[in-house]
Amino acid sequence: MGSHANASGRHVLARFRARRILHAYLFIAPVIVLFGIFRVVPAIQTLLYSFYKVELLRGRFTFIGLDNFRTLLTDEIFQKAAVNTLVYVASIVPISAALGLILAVLFNTRFRFKEFFKAVYFAPMVTSTVAAAVVWWWMYNPQFGIFNVLLKLVGLPEQPWLMSSHMALPSIIIFSIWKTLGYNMIIYLAGLQAIPQQFYEAATIDGAGAIKRFWRISVPLLAPTTTFILIYNGILAFQVFDQVFVLTGGGPANSTNVVVLDLYRQAFERYNFGYAAAEAMVLFVFILGVTLLQYVYSKRFEVAY
Amino acid sequence: MRASKVLAITLAILFLSPAIALAGAAKTTITLWYPAGDITAGAAHFADKTLFADFEAKNNVKVEAVALDYDTMIQKIFAAAAGKNIADILFIDTSWLPGFLKEEMLEPVADAKAKAWLAAVSPEIKELSDYGKGRMWGYPQYGIDVYGLTWNKDHFKEAGLDPEKPPKTWAEFREYAKKLTKRDAQGNITRVGYAIRHVGHPHGVVHKHFWAIYGAGAQLIDDPNALRGGKSMINTPGGKAALQLVLDMLDVDKSTSLNFPDPRAAFLKGIASMQISETVSIKARQPKEAPDLKWGMALPPVPKAGDKSVTLLGAWLYSVPKQAKNKAMAWKAIEWINSAEKDYELCKKYDASPRYKVNWDKEPFKSDAYDQGLKQLYPYGKKLPINLGLNGIMDAMGGAIQKVWHHEASVDAALADAERLANKAIADAAK
Repeated sequence: MGSHANASGRHVLARFRARRILHAYLFIAPVIVLFGIFRVVPAIQTLLYSFYKVELLRGRFTFIGLDNFRTLLTDEIFQKAAVNTLVYVASIVPISAALGLILAVLFNTRFRFKEFFKAVYFAPMVTSTVAAAVVWWWMYNPQFGIFNVLLKLVGLPEQPWLMSSHMALPSIIIFSIWKTLGYNMIIYLAGLQAIPQQFYEAATIDGAGAIKRFWRISVPLLAPTTTFILIYNGILAFQVFDQVFVLTGGGPANSTNVVVLDLYRQAFERYNFGYAAAEAMVLFVFILGVTLLQYVYSKRFEVAY
Repeated sequence: MRASKVLAITLAILFLSPAIALAGAAKTTITLWYPAGDITAGAAHFADKTLFADFEAKNNVKVEAVALDYDTMIQKIFAAAAGKNIADILFIDTSWLPGFLKEEMLEPVADAKAKAWLAAVSPEIKELSDYGKGRMWGYPQYGIDVYGLTWNKDHFKEAGLDPEKPPKTWAEFREYAKKLTKRDAQGNITRVGYAIRHVGHPHGVVHKHFWAIYGAGAQLIDDPNALRGGKSMINTPGGKAALQLVLDMLDVDKSTSLNFPDPRAAFLKGIASMQISETVSIKARQPKEAPDLKWGMALPPVPKAGDKSVTLLGAWLYSVPKQAKNKAMAWKAIEWINSAEKDYELCKKYDASPRYKVNWDKEPFKSDAYDQGLKQLYPYGKKLPINLGLNGIMDAMGGAIQKVWHHEASVDAALADAERLANKAIADAAK
């Protein structure tokens, strides 16, 4: 009798649990379905397309194996775009993170109009990239732009900025740093404020100065925040498009061409969808690789407090 | 029993009546996509809701003109074609043709209609319409683009040049540009004699230097009307001379500069004395942007006296995509709006140059100085080739121009590279 009651109770409990699980899945189903339709299916489709010659309008898909990838290896324009993308990532990610940290440390102290200045630094993050890029295009204008006016005022030679093959990519990097700096600052600020004050107090009692406290306490304890910022900014930087499209269109002479822009052109100007898909897969592997590398390496700096 | 029958019939009528009413009232809707804004003056009339009123009344159809964002128009057209939900009429830039033809996206104009059109229009429109042996992919819109040299007459006077005599040869052009260039106390150029386009989309860079490339005897491709195959003709003595001309103006004469990247804007702002681009654009912008500017318009200069000038012709085109749902009515609407009568009526209303020979003999075009000026340029106009690899050829040539003028490569190296890339694009597109 007792065992029967136990079995029945377990059965009820199991049914209750199953129903709860079913309810939970029903609640998240819309998100899962939409994510599947708009993210997973296109991603799988892109992977498949990369092995085909895709002629969308004729509805013709010719399997060509790794041909698209082989062509990529000898495509000078893609190689240039890949190098430009790497230079962009390697510049913007550390510089933007370092400047964000410096600003966060400054904003972690008390001073007048702090909130106002915080908003000023954060504003670029919430501004449309395209709109901001159009304004910067004018600021970089060799004749009328503010940058050359300032250079002239301090007696320095005017620069061609976006008009020069040598200066265009650095000009885009400067714009992107301006755009991402505020976000990094806010994340670092949150990280700094989460560090318990007693660590600093103990270090101060032990005679550590401000710089020593920064290097010995702040920087190590901010490691998880730094990891997040590097991965997040890295992923975004690999996908750079808007600012390049607006500021230079990839020129002059492909000096600012980046992988996503090249992919866009292959797909929508040359209608080489299979080839563009192969470029997207290469970019995906790059992003995945760098993210995994950063993630694994950052495990060494994990902290708990 | 009788009552139930009456009820059944009444219910059936009620059930079907909306469908019957709809079927009676339904009109076929012809959709037309065109670029929004002031991308081309030729699209201005689409904003007029009564534009197709007569046609709609006669044919019991509705023509719906929809403005698309120019920058993403190609992508939208392509995506719509892939989704088999495209407009019945496309108003497109002729430079987009190769890309669309590569995908076999457009219907050709019927042979008889094409023959009649080519016989009735003026030579420049014939040049823009005929893609070899009378084959047409659409009807070019009025107010076509013709590239011409425009100059600031006040600057000419100030530099001691005759404001009514533009430079005719490259040597004169360089000499004039040097005289027209102005510098500040530090020696920085504040006004260029000639403004060059060297940034932005490579196509734009090539368009603005087409006159020199073709004028010197080079060509983007050997057969401009062949869809597939052929070879690039840019790495030739003429191609080299065309690139060297501006390089010398940059480095030797210092009469132009990389710091004036938008020739039309620089010209209208008075910081460039000469530029070569679409004359229609200067005509449209000058009254608003530079009302006091006195300017002249002429053919681009030639390498040496006696050479024939060459300049670029471009147009927007009415075309019908293969996936259009109402092809027959779409062609009918296109033929209606491109008739000689509508050409006259619309050109008069929108101050544009007509296409039909018969309309050139009528006023106001017969006495209009600008239109007559254009007529002097038209015979020297050439359209872009139609090769399916054109995008790649333009990228290659645009890249070569930028590399040379930005001092990243010698003329020889840049053109050798461009030739290789262009031939690869031609071969790839032909596959």
